[in-house]
This record gives sequence, structure tokens and C-alpha cells, in this order.
Amino acid sequence: MKPVVGVLLGDPNGVGPELAAKLLAAAGTRAEARVLAIGDLGVFRAGAAVAGVEIPLNVIEDAAAANFDPAVLDFLSVPTIAPEEVTPGRAGAAAGRSVYETVKVAVALAKAGEIDGFCFAPMNKGALKAGGSPHGDEHILFAELLGYDGPYCEHNVLGDLWTTRATSHIPLKDVAENITTGRVLEMTRLAHRTLSGAGYGSPRIAVCALNPHGGDGGLFGREEIDVIAPAVEAAQAEGIAAQGPFPADTVFLKARDGAYDAVVTMYHDQGQIAMKLMGFGSGVTVSGGLPVPIATPASGTAFDIVGKGVASAEGMRQAFLLVCRMAGTKKARDAAAQ
Amino acid sequence: MNARRTMPPLALTMGEPAGIGGEIALMAWRSRADAVPPFFLIDDPDRIETLAELTGLDARVERIAEPEDAAAVFPRALPVLPERLPAAVDPGRPSAANAPAVIRAIDRAAGFARSGRAGAMVTNPIHKTTLYDAGFEHPGHTEYLAALAGLDAPSVMMLACDELRVVPVTVHLSLRAAIEALDADAIVHCGRVTAAALKADFGIERPRLAVAGLNPHAGEDGHMGREEIDIVAPAIARLREEGIAVSGPAPADTLFHAAARAGYDAVLCMYHDQALIPLKTIDFAGGVNVTLGLPFVRTSPDHGTAFAIAGTGTASPESLIAALRMADRMARCRAGAATKGRAVA
Repeated sequence: MKPVVGVLLGDPNGVGPELAAKLLAAAGTRAEARVLAIGDLGVFRAGAAVAGVEIPLNVIEDAAAANFDPAVLDFLSVPTIAPEEVTPGRAGAAAGRSVYETVKVAVALAKAGEIDGFCFAPMNKGALKAGGSPHGDEHILFAELLGYDGPYCEHNVLGDLWTTRATSHIPLKDVAENITTGRVLEMTRLAHRTLSGAGYGSPRIAVCALNPHGGDGGLFGREEIDVIAPAVEAAQAEGIAAQGPFPADTVFLKARDGAYDAVVTMYHDQGQIAMKLMGFGSGVTVSGGLPVPIATPASGTAFDIVGKGVASAEGMRQAFLLVCRMAGTKKARDAAAQ
Repeated sequence: MNARRTMPPLALTMGEPAGIGGEIALMAWRSRADAVPPFFLIDDPDRIETLAELTGLDARVERIAEPEDAAAVFPRALPVLPERLPAAVDPGRPSAANAPAVIRAIDRAAGFARSGRAGAMVTNPIHKTTLYDAGFEHPGHTEYLAALAGLDAPSVMMLACDELRVVPVTVHLSLRAAIEALDADAIVHCGRVTAAALKADFGIERPRLAVAGLNPHAGEDGHMGREEIDIVAPAIARLREEGIAVSGPAPADTLFHAAARAGYDAVLCMYHDQALIPLKTIDFAGGVNVTLGLPFVRTSPDHGTAFAIAGTGTASPESLIAALRMADRMARCRAGAATKGRAVA
């Protein structure tokens, strides 16, 4: 049985509803999983109109009423915003509240086992917070709503290349002191766990150095020797196929060419510069570590092109396919374990 | 107009003889029909002949007495201006006994480039610790050439491929030390030298510089670091006061894709990997290292001595060929600008 995958529309003021409509209308989407669209019907219809697509709907109030007929899309109606509250191209609290309320429904469905994972179209962190969410960062929000207190992180994925970062949105000058052996090991474990969950057998993980030329044997910094190499060794001792530390300027090309499945980076731009260069439009962000597969396109709400129908849905499609893959792997393993 | 005829050949240094410099020079010469500009190698001709045999590279070698002989020889053989090596060369194993000759090759190439007997200098990779062991006191080529040229301000390193030019404001420092060393004066100096070089050596009338931020999302108004506000933005303001077109500080992760690259001619980067990650991702093998701010043109391939494969004939000459082509274009541009300047004066 294929997994049930939820598709959320994202911020009503951004390109999210158009992208979701494009994804849901595309031939093949509903062959990958049993799809349940979740959101405000008015927002979806507006997005479908911009995208120029028509999709026969089975509008339901209860997820249990979904019948997964491939010709008709099951749409779980969650009324969250009035049409006059939608302000296309501008961040707003009403739109943020719409996202927050929908996410709560989706997470509850996941906890209840009614969906096996979900992807969501781009949201705006500021609006989410203004709309009543305790957190602007959606990964923290998901963990909290799921009642999950283990380690989690954001993975950036491009095709078959995954990255995980040891530090994220902090000043660069604070990075070195936040890179500890424990932290690097934890992120390497998370990369291993998430990729295993996406169906990779013994994922090959490259760990980045912090300093230029990987510190050149201690000439330009000692973090590689004192902190990162011990983390790699500890991961190896746990049976994880980790290697490194590698100089950051060449490791991404090697990974892209197939030498590694994942790269653990030490700071935000180390991975993001290369990933955004290698595929600006098709990247995906995965909430790693959580008990439920959740993904979103790496691109944002793109307020400047809202309503024009020109936004590319490729990242949305990739996010959806990743959730299908992770949810399918989990389902198959759960079935095998029984 | 007849720049191609009047431009003297380029001077190429031996670099560390136990590295791949000799064989990639032979390979570059063999590719001469593919728009590789004429050059001569400053090296030991006997060892280059031996190397050609060892590696099976079918290349004729001919010793020349003066740089002026190179142009006539280049079509039929690789011209080698002798610089004797006292110790036998063992690929992969550098010898400190040869270090003085390695340095002399650099001195001579710089002298020829400066006096106009060579169009420009191109350097093969050196092995720094071998030179340090022999008493060399400069961190690398870039600093040594600045000292040779008697510059009172540091020269500036640019890395370039066809699609992107980047200038790291801090270079071979740990990330911690690079962040500490970053100051507005260094950014302004790099910006000035880069803008002047883009005009004089790359023929860009009104160069546009982009300046990367240091922090994620360029600090997001101070929420993730204050260097953009306290250091980078003031440096940009000073450069603008000097009439230079500068944009930034820009988030580094969205600064390098094709659409963004159309908006500038070079990027000032705050640390080594911020410059090198995009450059290598865009063009892994074809990157060229250029020293800006010298009274002559100097480029080099953007790789090391590659001891592990030295002497096997398997190294790629791609970066050296790119360095030779870039040196030739820059030298012609500089000569053309000088001629134009005289004509106006």
C-alpha cells in the first residue's frame, strides 16, 4: 500500500498555493502516493486559477473520508483565512495564522497515523510568528507539535546530494566555538539516520573541514585535528560510513559526482553557496530527525512574482517525491518488522 | 593593432621541480595549436628532456640563450631558458638543494616581465616548506613578488575562471583568524586594486564590484553578526566615495548563480572558502590565480605541486593553459591601454 502524503499550500500571500496546485495537477503525482491536500479551499482555488489548472476535488471535513480515487483529489478543508484577508505579495499575520492552523492539523493527522508524512509549499517565517506560532522556525515548531525532544536538524537536498550543518543561523565568529566533537558527531549520526530512512543503505557521509585547505595540517587552524577528526572517527566506530574532514572547496563537486551521499558542513554558507550554485530552483529542505517525514522546497514565498503563474514547481515536486520516498521506506520497514 | 606580433612570449617558472610543473609545461606546449600563447620555460633543459622521455610526452625541447630567442623556437620546440638544478630531480621528493634555483627562476621571470622582455610571468606551483627550509622568508609567491616589486601596499590575489572572478580579502588564515583580521581598510584596499586592475588588465571601462557579507544572510540587519554593519558597509561607502561602482554586502549563498553573476565583474570575499567554494564549483580545473597590483602581469595555475602524481604524465595542464591564456590577454590589455594613453598624451 502506498503511503498517505499530505500536501500543504504554504503562505496564502506567496507562490505556495500556485506551486501546490501545479504539483497536484501534474500527471504522475497521484501515482507516487495516496495524496491528501490539506488547506483552505478558497486559497487553493485561487492558486489553481493562477496556475491555470483544474482538478476535480473530493472536498472532505475528515481525513477518514478520503477515498484516494486517482481521478479525484481528496481535499481536506481547513478554513483558515477569509478571501479579503489575503494580500498577495505582502507578508501578513492572517496568512501566517492560516499556515500555523494548517500545520497543527497536519501534525495531528501524522501523530494519529492518518498521514505518513507531508510536504508544504513555501511559508514566511516572519508571518508565521506574527500569526501566532510560538516559533518562526518551522522545524522547531514541528518538533514541538510532535512532542519530539530528540535531536533534529535541517537537511538541504539537491537530487541525490544531502547536506546537514553543524551550525546554522549564528554569526560566523561564533561558529568555531560551537563546533564541538559532540555536535559534529550528532549531526553525522542524524545524516546517517535520515538518509537510511530515505532508503540509502549505509549512506556515505563526507564531513567538511572548517578552515581553508582543511587547516593544512594545523597551519591554518586546529579544529580539524582537535575537534572534527575525532568526531569522524567516533562515527566510524559506530559503523557509520563517514569520512573527512575534507577541504570545503572541493568536497561538494566530489559528492555531486557520486562519491558521497551526504555532506556535513560546519556553517551555513559553506554548504549553501555550493548547493544554490548547483541547483537554484530544485533544492529541497527536509526536517531531519523528526519521527514524521516533512519537506519543503528550498525556494521561498517569492513575493515579487506572486500571481503571475511563472514560479517553478520543480522544488515542490522534489519535496513531494522525497516525502514519498521517506514515508514509503518507513512503511516498508514497519511492515517488515511486524 | 598588431599586438599579437609585438607581444613578447610569456616567462614560465619551473616551480618545484619535483612537482608536476615540468610535465604540464610540456603538455601546454604540445597544445600550442589550441590558442596557447608563446611562452618559454625557465628550468634545467636536461631534466626537462629527461622528463619528456620519462613521461612519454612527445615534445621537443630546445635551450635558448635569451628570452628574445623564444618566439622563433616556440613553433618547433619548447624553449627552455637554462636555470641549472644542482641536485637530481626525483618526482614527488623535493630537495632543498634545488630551492635557490626555484627562487632564481621566479626572480628572473619577474625581471623579464618588468623590463618587457617577457609579456608577463606565469608561475608553476612551488612547495612552500621546501623553500622555507632553504631560508625563503615569504609566505608565498604573491607576497614575494610584491616585495620584489618594492610595493608598499600588499598585492591582491584574484582567482578567476571564464564565469567568475573572486578576490578573497583574507587568505591563508584559520577561519577564526580571518574574522579577526577583517577590517574596512583591507576591504577598501582590495576594492581599489581590483577596480584598477579590472580597468587596466581586463579592459572593463567601469568595473562593478560586489562585496559579500561575512555572516549567514549577510547578518540579517545585525541579527546574525554585526560585521556587515560595522565593517563591510562602511568600506563599501568609502569605495563609492572614490567613484567605484560597488554593491553589497550581499548574502554569499545567493551571490554566485548565473543571474547574480551578470550583475558584477568581480566579488570581494571575506574569507578563503567563500571565494574558493563557488570558484571550484563553477570551474573545478580551469581556475587561475592572478596577482593584482604588481607593475607586471602574473598568473598561475590554481593547484599545487601534486607530488602524488608527479612524473607520471597524468596531471592535467588545463589550469596552466588557462593561466597562460589569461596572462596573455591581460598583458595585451595593459599594453593596449598604455599605448592608448600615450596616443592621447
